[in-house]
Amino acid sequence: MEYILTIVVLIAIFVILSSSYNLVIGYGGLATVAHPIFYALGAYTSALLGIHFGLPAAICVLAGALVAVVASILLALSALRVAGDYLLIASLGFQLGLLQVIKNFEFTGGPGGISAIPNTITGPWRTPAYLLICGGIAALTVWLIARIVHGPYGRAITAMRDEELAFSALGRNAMTIKVVVFAIGCGIAGIAGGLYAFYFQYVSPDQFEVLHSAAMLTMVVLGGMGTTMGPVVGAVVLIAIPQAITFLNLPPAVMAPMQGIIFTTLVMLFLFLRPAGLVGPLSRDRMAGRTALEKSSGGVAE
Amino acid sequence: MLTYSNVNVSYGGLPVLKDISLTIKEGECVAIFGHNGAGKTSLLRCSVGDVEGATGTISYRGEPIVRGAVFMNSRRGIGLVPQGHNVFRQLTVRKNLSVAGLNSPGGTLEEVYRLFPVLEQRGNQIAGSLSGGQQQILALGMSLMTKPSILLLDEPSTGLAPVIVNDVMDSLRQINLRGTTVVIVEQNIPATLKLVSRAIVLKAGRIVFDGAGGDLARKEDLWAWF
Repeated sequence: MEYILTIVVLIAIFVILSSSYNLVIGYGGLATVAHPIFYALGAYTSALLGIHFGLPAAICVLAGALVAVVASILLALSALRVAGDYLLIASLGFQLGLLQVIKNFEFTGGPGGISAIPNTITGPWRTPAYLLICGGIAALTVWLIARIVHGPYGRAITAMRDEELAFSALGRNAMTIKVVVFAIGCGIAGIAGGLYAFYFQYVSPDQFEVLHSAAMLTMVVLGGMGTTMGPVVGAVVLIAIPQAITFLNLPPAVMAPMQGIIFTTLVMLFLFLRPAGLVGPLSRDRMAGRTALEKSSGGVAE
Repeated sequence: MLTYSNVNVSYGGLPVLKDISLTIKEGECVAIFGHNGAGKTSLLRCSVGDVEGATGTISYRGEPIVRGAVFMNSRRGIGLVPQGHNVFRQLTVRKNLSVAGLNSPGGTLEEVYRLFPVLEQRGNQIAGSLSGGQQQILALGMSLMTKPSILLLDEPSTGLAPVIVNDVMDSLRQINLRGTTVVIVEQNIPATLKLVSRAIVLKAGRIVFDGAGGDLARKEDLWAWF
């Protein structure tokens, strides 16, 4: 039972993470692969504050989110002036560079990471309590993102993403919207990192490698990019499937590659057959296809 | 109103605009013609500060335009309707107009609906599902929501049927008659000459004609420039 509850806690953390990534890449259209590093910043900041200063977990988690927000703004102000491939490369450099810093500093525990993160909730109700906290924050995250994207600001985000020049020509500052969306998404990833650190009481750099971007992207694409519930469904499916595979008792040498193959296959299948994802409406598939066709031919609908 | 002094633009060392100097006066309706690659779109984009590395001076009502900040020039009254991708295809018509009007309080929506009743009729329709002509009308309506003093349009008739082109040109005439200066970059010379009072022809980045639209229409060697 403890194992199942732990998986559900992990799902809740990944719902927070994939929803925040969806805000950045799905709604904001900001092609970044640096999301794991903001998750890491939240986790490491929370862990270090908890260990060295004995601050309450909630304060540590919020401080982790704040550090992620500040780091995201630093990246945004330089990298968001460019778009597309350039943003992707800049975010990749930021992710790899900062992870190297984490791996090489003594106070971050180097490649071995940090263990003995304070256990803030003890006793038999520890996991159910974390389940409530993480589940509650996941629900709050989904609600908050839905509020943002379905309101006037969300319309502006969609407009900025789809036609940036037309958006700017209407007197709207696209850069401000990009920075705000990026900071909110990365701050939420920082919260997910803090929750992870306090629940599992151990963080190491390999948990935040750039490959985790692929997992997050898979969750978003499979669930439905640019939909509120898509990342929730994606996180549930993609955390549950690898756990289900563990019941097959396969050797570890087979297990890891198999998970990679499943992730890749799912992304490709959904991109070709169901670009709107599990949650996205069928009509969006047709719309996506039509838009792609028009863009590739340079034509205008008549 | 909008003054260009010795404006030069080049992309990767290839000159696109060469020493352009001209003035657009308040209330004018001006067409800019030219062959593909003549520099028409670059000239429009320069006007809103969207071309990096442009040299020379462009000033709007005596003040230089802000380079690299299209939104700031728009807020000062320079409206731009880019070619093609100028509406937010995933949003409804009404939401497109509301996004456009957020920075310009004062209820111009009613004015836009009065000018373009089709936008009110199609208010709940997704913009991406409108016809090309309706999308162009929507783009015009969105630009009007920002209450521009001067409206720059990049080939608004591209991809439209001739009858729809006439509708778009009629709309532009109404906008101009209401006091908005209009600058239109076009390939469709006959339809545009019916609208404008002044025409400018660009050839290989230089102005080769600047005069009355009627004079351009009467030129026997007009097509040599294209």
